[in-house]
Amino acid sequence: MDKALADFVEMLRYSDVPVSISESVDAAETVRLFGYSDRTLLKTALAQVMAKTIEEQESFERCFDEFFSFQINPDLNPDGEIAEDADNNQEGPEKAGDSSENLAANDDSSIPNPASGGGEGGGGFSGEQSQGASTDSLIDMLERNDRTELTMAMTAAASAANLRNIVLMTQRGLYTRRILEEMGLDEANREISRRNKEGDEAGADQLSGRLELLFDSVRDMVERQLALTSSGKGKQFRQDILKNVSLSNIEQRDFKHMRDMVRRMAKRLTDMNSRVRKVKNRGHLDIRKTMRRNVAYDGILFETHWKQKHKDRPKVLAVCDVSGSVAAVARFLLLFLYSLNEVLPKVRSFAFSGDLGEITDEFDRMGPEDAIPYAIEKFGGRSTDYGRALEDFKELCLDDIDNRTTVIFLGDGRSNDADPRVDILKEIKLRAKRVIWLNPERKSIWGSGDSEMLKIAPYCTKAETCNSLNKLELILRDLLKSD
Amino acid sequence: MTFIDKDPATAIDLIKEGFETAGYICDRHIATSIYLSQKLDKPILVEGPPGVGKTELAKAASEILAAPLIRLQCYEGLDESKALYEWKYGKQLLYTQILKEKLGDLLEDAVGLEQSMEKLHQFGDNFYSESFLEARPLLQALKSEVKTVLLIDEIDKSDHEFEAYLLEILSDYQITVPEIGTIKAKTKPLVFLTSNNSREMSDALKRRCLHLYIPFPDASLERRIIQTRVPELEENLRNQLVSFVQQLRTQDLKKLPAVSETIDWARTLMLLHADKLEVDLVRNTLNMLLKFEEDIDNMHSEVPKFIAAARNERY
Repeated sequence: MDKALADFVEMLRYSDVPVSISESVDAAETVRLFGYSDRTLLKTALAQVMAKTIEEQESFERCFDEFFSFQINPDLNPDGEIAEDADNNQEGPEKAGDSSENLAANDDSSIPNPASGGGEGGGGFSGEQSQGASTDSLIDMLERNDRTELTMAMTAAASAANLRNIVLMTQRGLYTRRILEEMGLDEANREISRRNKEGDEAGADQLSGRLELLFDSVRDMVERQLALTSSGKGKQFRQDILKNVSLSNIEQRDFKHMRDMVRRMAKRLTDMNSRVRKVKNRGHLDIRKTMRRNVAYDGILFETHWKQKHKDRPKVLAVCDVSGSVAAVARFLLLFLYSLNEVLPKVRSFAFSGDLGEITDEFDRMGPEDAIPYAIEKFGGRSTDYGRALEDFKELCLDDIDNRTTVIFLGDGRSNDADPRVDILKEIKLRAKRVIWLNPERKSIWGSGDSEMLKIAPYCTKAETCNSLNKLELILRDLLKSD
Repeated sequence: MTFIDKDPATAIDLIKEGFETAGYICDRHIATSIYLSQKLDKPILVEGPPGVGKTELAKAASEILAAPLIRLQCYEGLDESKALYEWKYGKQLLYTQILKEKLGDLLEDAVGLEQSMEKLHQFGDNFYSESFLEARPLLQALKSEVKTVLLIDEIDKSDHEFEAYLLEILSDYQITVPEIGTIKAKTKPLVFLTSNNSREMSDALKRRCLHLYIPFPDASLERRIIQTRVPELEENLRNQLVSFVQQLRTQDLKKLPAVSETIDWARTLMLLHADKLEVDLVRNTLNMLLKFEEDIDNMHSEVPKFIAAARNERY
């Protein structure tokens, strides 16, 4: 597999297109078949080999356009802005070829030996110890305005400054500076001020003008690298953090990311667990299987086999506290509820602070952006009264609870000193398959103040702290597995 | 197959033309995936909304490759005995009966139990052998002497276990029957799997397949499809009709009209001898396009607007 394709695969992996090894082998084969000349065709073909869902297809197309446009578009050459003299035109074609190679390799740490193309100046840029030499060269190169040399030096400096590790937008300045320093910025600045002092203003202006252009092209290079690898890396980085950060600390702007993550999580959980089937020992006789089993007994039907299979379609009733005390996390709890609704066939959702009401229909009808604020507005804001909520809940759907039902409560169990009516909870527990209580508070403060968790917990199959996405997933996975 | 040795671009054009002669209008996207699947020996997982011609694709492919189509319709509860193979129990029972009768003759000169068993072991064990094996679609495709097109339709309707059975076939074109051993394909079939995405397929399955997503066609492609499928329809009406359907697809509907519905509608309009779209005519035949009462009610008032737009469109 060639370097460009390997880089592309890596970029895809960072951009939510998980390319497996066998798929990259296929991709290499496809590239061998099609070649790089016809981009549209190659894009179509590679998309089918590497992107396996519609979402992946979208990211794939974006990545493909980004990645390959850099290689073919000579306008984006880092030295494009510096080179203004016509002399360079004649060596254009040859150069375009080799700088596109440079670009493909530009996030690689080992640049194909700069000395060979960059001439005597190239060697000087690999380290700071040779400051003197490199400064001379930078000034020389700027004086000569030599495209090739400058490009080589820039690429070398970029790899010395570890440009490929750039992750965040905010690091742009830092990396630009580092690369320029690596190339000998200080010396060049000193030279400019020296010329100014000596009255050679034209010389100083020329040099600083060219330095300015160099600065622009270095910044371009940094931005391109950022676009190439970081958008994916940055996203992954952010997701890793979001998974572990406490739900109450997640900010509004991350809501969208959370939504994707929660949905993916809920989907994964249900994919793993939704279609559990058990073969039952009654129902219709399965003639084929019975005959097959009894062939060994000379066709006498000793062992019977039954057709009936038990489909486990979990029924979930989820109740979410949206009152002031859990305001910070309510949105995420609701978001989780919403995603559960999307992936499980039978979820009924309820929200309460004072009164309790069903929000299943709203969740079905509206998108999460509308449904969640709606639920908070309609039911939130009042002071919590778990007793009342449980009474309402009992009235609404106690009869629907049977031994296949899972009841999930999401709330902090702070009832403002009102009776939490654990007797109703007890009744629910007796009927339901299980009752899960997920509390965003740490266990150590359960029971402090108006928290009724210590009274509530005994009537739950499981009462757990749940304050980050990772926790949420772990708890639910455990639960779904345990039956 | 004539296209296999050509360079990719030519081959893909040839495939496209081939499909067109078979009455299936496709874009380069689809042709590319047929080419790739031939070159890489990979099955194609075809996804897309219902009615865009996923199953038709397999049928057309079987036609242009002159390869018989073997179709397996998936449903919940489909198991290996219906998809892969089954033993012929009746025959097996008869076999044991015959064996019992013949046993006396065969073991005539054996002395003692031990010798009889020894003798018995010398006979070939036919009880589980290929002659008692009833081939179901997947096995049929593997055992076929000529190249076949294997269509595994609506794979998303099947169970997880069934998906797992498929993996061996999809990656190595072979299946393993525990009693016999591994049966390898004589000629590798061209495999299509179609899915409406009612559930996500496992990564293992997706990794083994090329992924082809067929969206709703754009206007010009849809016009060509109608032209091929309902050639009697007048050009003017065809343009209006396609434009109308395209507008409908931009609406918020429970089920968007697919190509198959457009074709049905075109046929209906032809039967009714329509020469242009009229408000009443469209309202009365809207049920050909929309399959939910709610959608029909919602679109009732929009019909005149869409017709006007369809008439004014330039081609």
